[in-house]
Amino acid sequence: MTKPNRAQHSNAVATAWQFTEQVPHGRELGMQVVSVDQGQVCMRLTPQSWMFAQDDTKEICTSVLYSLADSAGGLAVFAGALELMPIATLDLRMDYLRPASGDRALLALATCRHLTDEVAFIHCDILSEGNRELLATANATFMRNTQGQQFHAGGRGKESA
Amino acid sequence: MTTIGDSAQHISGAAESGKECADWQALLERIPYAGHLGLEVQWGDGGVLVHLPCREALIGNFMLPALHGGVLGALIELTARVAAQSQDTETRCPRILDSHINYLRSAQARSTFARADIIRQGRRTSLVQVTCWQGDENKPIATGQVQLLLPTMAAQQEDRHGH
Repeated sequence: MTKPNRAQHSNAVATAWQFTEQVPHGRELGMQVVSVDQGQVCMRLTPQSWMFAQDDTKEICTSVLYSLADSAGGLAVFAGALELMPIATLDLRMDYLRPASGDRALLALATCRHLTDEVAFIHCDILSEGNRELLATANATFMRNTQGQQFHAGGRGKESA
Repeated sequence: MTTIGDSAQHISGAAESGKECADWQALLERIPYAGHLGLEVQWGDGGVLVHLPCREALIGNFMLPALHGGVLGALIELTARVAAQSQDTETRCPRILDSHINYLRSAQARSTFARADIIRQGRRTSLVQVTCWQGDENKPIATGQVQLLLPTMAAQQEDRHGH
């Protein structure tokens, strides 16, 4: 997938974007960052049969949507804050509105709703590609400036704990 | 599965524990994503546990390193699902409606365990509390509450036709 707008972002967002794509669990699930546009993060995931919720259905396991929301939410913190710092998920609440079909890619749209010095409040919607109906919604709170780990410029920081 | 009075979650005796583990394992094995994560059922001090072995692909932060928050989300959701399904007399396949997970401590790159406590098993819904820990069960790294819907017969049939 091309990344037309990564270079246009601040260094912080570009670095966080790069970091998100390097997260081992995100790579395993095949998560891709599609765009970061005016504070809104779009990520995409192509379903595979090992992600299914039951051996006799083609429904994607809710936990895959959960992982996608957590990753998109983490990147949305940087898209909102425009600075690099270690962060950690404090809590995440998912509502699964509809079953997620394994026939279509998942899209996650995450935005930072509010930012304080210590906390970021994130909302994330999950949809099937090419379909406007919501599959799931997430609300998450992230702690900013978590102790114990320096954020090294040039690439890497805490995405979620 | 067998249940003894109201204390179905605290069955004692080797035969029951073996059967409960086997029941849980059979339910887990029907979930492709649980197999991919490597979830396995164990018998712990206070009952049946789900063990998540660590591997590199589960890392969410390679600097600490720490497990991805979504990996703990999966451990909690799938443990809740198997707990609710094993308690259901018809072992109906539950649908996860919502889950709310609180992260309490950093999840290190090591084995993680989960235990389920059923808060309420109703006729149509089940609310399950799941606790995750690594070295010390008294120092949980995450807790979650999962609300599940147990499908009615009509909904199950509709589901079958739909696929």
